[in-house]
Amino acid sequence: MGSSNTGAKDDSATTSDGGNSSGEDLPASNSATYSDGEKVLAYHGPRIYEAKIQKTEFTKKEWRYFVHYLGWNKNWDEWVGTHRLMKYTEENIMKQQALEKKQGTDKSSKSGRTNQAKPKTSTDGKVEKEELKNYVSKGKKRKIDSIVEDNVSTGKVVKILIPSTLKKQLIEDFEFVNQQDKLVKLPRSPSIDDILAKYHEYRLKKDTMTADSVGEILKGLRCYFDKALPVLLLYKKERQQYQEFVVDNISPSAIYGAEHLLRLFVKLPELLAYVNIEEDTLVHLQQKLLDFLKYLHKNQNAFFLSDYDGSKGHEGSSRGKDD
Amino acid sequence: MEGVKKEEEQDGVSVHSPCNAPRSSASSLPKEQSQVELEIKLLEALEIYPPFQLKGMHRHFVLYGLMEYLRKSFDRHFSPDEVLQLLDRFYNLEMMKPDDEEIEILNQEKDFSLPQSIFEKDEA
Repeated sequence: MGSSNTGAKDDSATTSDGGNSSGEDLPASNSATYSDGEKVLAYHGPRIYEAKIQKTEFTKKEWRYFVHYLGWNKNWDEWVGTHRLMKYTEENIMKQQALEKKQGTDKSSKSGRTNQAKPKTSTDGKVEKEELKNYVSKGKKRKIDSIVEDNVSTGKVVKILIPSTLKKQLIEDFEFVNQQDKLVKLPRSPSIDDILAKYHEYRLKKDTMTADSVGEILKGLRCYFDKALPVLLLYKKERQQYQEFVVDNISPSAIYGAEHLLRLFVKLPELLAYVNIEEDTLVHLQQKLLDFLKYLHKNQNAFFLSDYDGSKGHEGSSRGKDD
Repeated sequence: MEGVKKEEEQDGVSVHSPCNAPRSSASSLPKEQSQVELEIKLLEALEIYPPFQLKGMHRHFVLYGLMEYLRKSFDRHFSPDEVLQLLDRFYNLEMMKPDDEEIEILNQEKDFSLPQSIFEKDEA
């Protein structure tokens, strides 16, 4: 299979499939490059997969194709643009193989035909486990992509309304570090672990029914904080301090305090976009997060520093007061 | 097995929850039937909350989502442990590989910055 194209171009060209002679990847105004039922090669993530066009649609001046990836569960069928597709030709199949080699996968793909080791049956729980392993090592990225895309396009992004006093806290925090060259004095007391524990206790007293839910959310916040701190939550000037304090297996949540926890709330919608949460559950979650923020606000004086430490040295290790 | 204990509780509660009452009175093997229903609902839930996310940094929020789904389905509380036990029938979480996607996000270090909305007046 695969028609050979003359010329240097190896993307879709003037071949019989699809019946349109637009040539380049750019479709002419009303003619689709690919047609229903056509077998194609589709980019997804870093790889190319065999796929089949299920539907075509012309919206907003471009053609879109609903593809099914051959050998993969139909849950992964998706709409793609022309730029993601290629004609099923020998040249393009070779591209596919080249990419696989580059990825260094364990798939064997001697011929250009079948290259997915994944089993097609997925009817019971046990096989699901096997599929999952394949998915986890190869295709998982696409599932995450569709989760995030879904959430963002349907506006299903958790809204964190930060109380205005805490907004002021964030602005001050910014100024201390970036304009006044100060740092939060570490280790903090209360630490984030302390604060989360106190809040849990407080909620337990108010309402034992939701204790488990609250507990899980707090664990989630702690987990996010520990992972996200060095990646998303530090100002440049704080990185050295981080290197000095978070050594061995110390959790950041044991060292840092409310100042940095509050920054997590700024990033929380982004992080939660990777989780597909039901709408009504999302509303509950929002309420619980807001309740936590109100608790921070209520205890602002006890939890937050009113001033940061300005005694650090300029370059090299900080020569400030060490504990 | 702890799972069975939970169902006894559930049956005991059935007087208070009208939706549970018909189930326990109608079947001759209430415990087994409930277990099947639990599993079915869990599998439904997993269409929304994919199991692989129970391995990564989002796992607590995913678990929370599962707890909420089951709570709504059966009109009773589910603990995280209970949900994990149910999951254990279908997925060996220990064997699952960690989230590759997560590793990628976490490799892109960015300096923190405040969004514009922080500087704006509150709407509410």
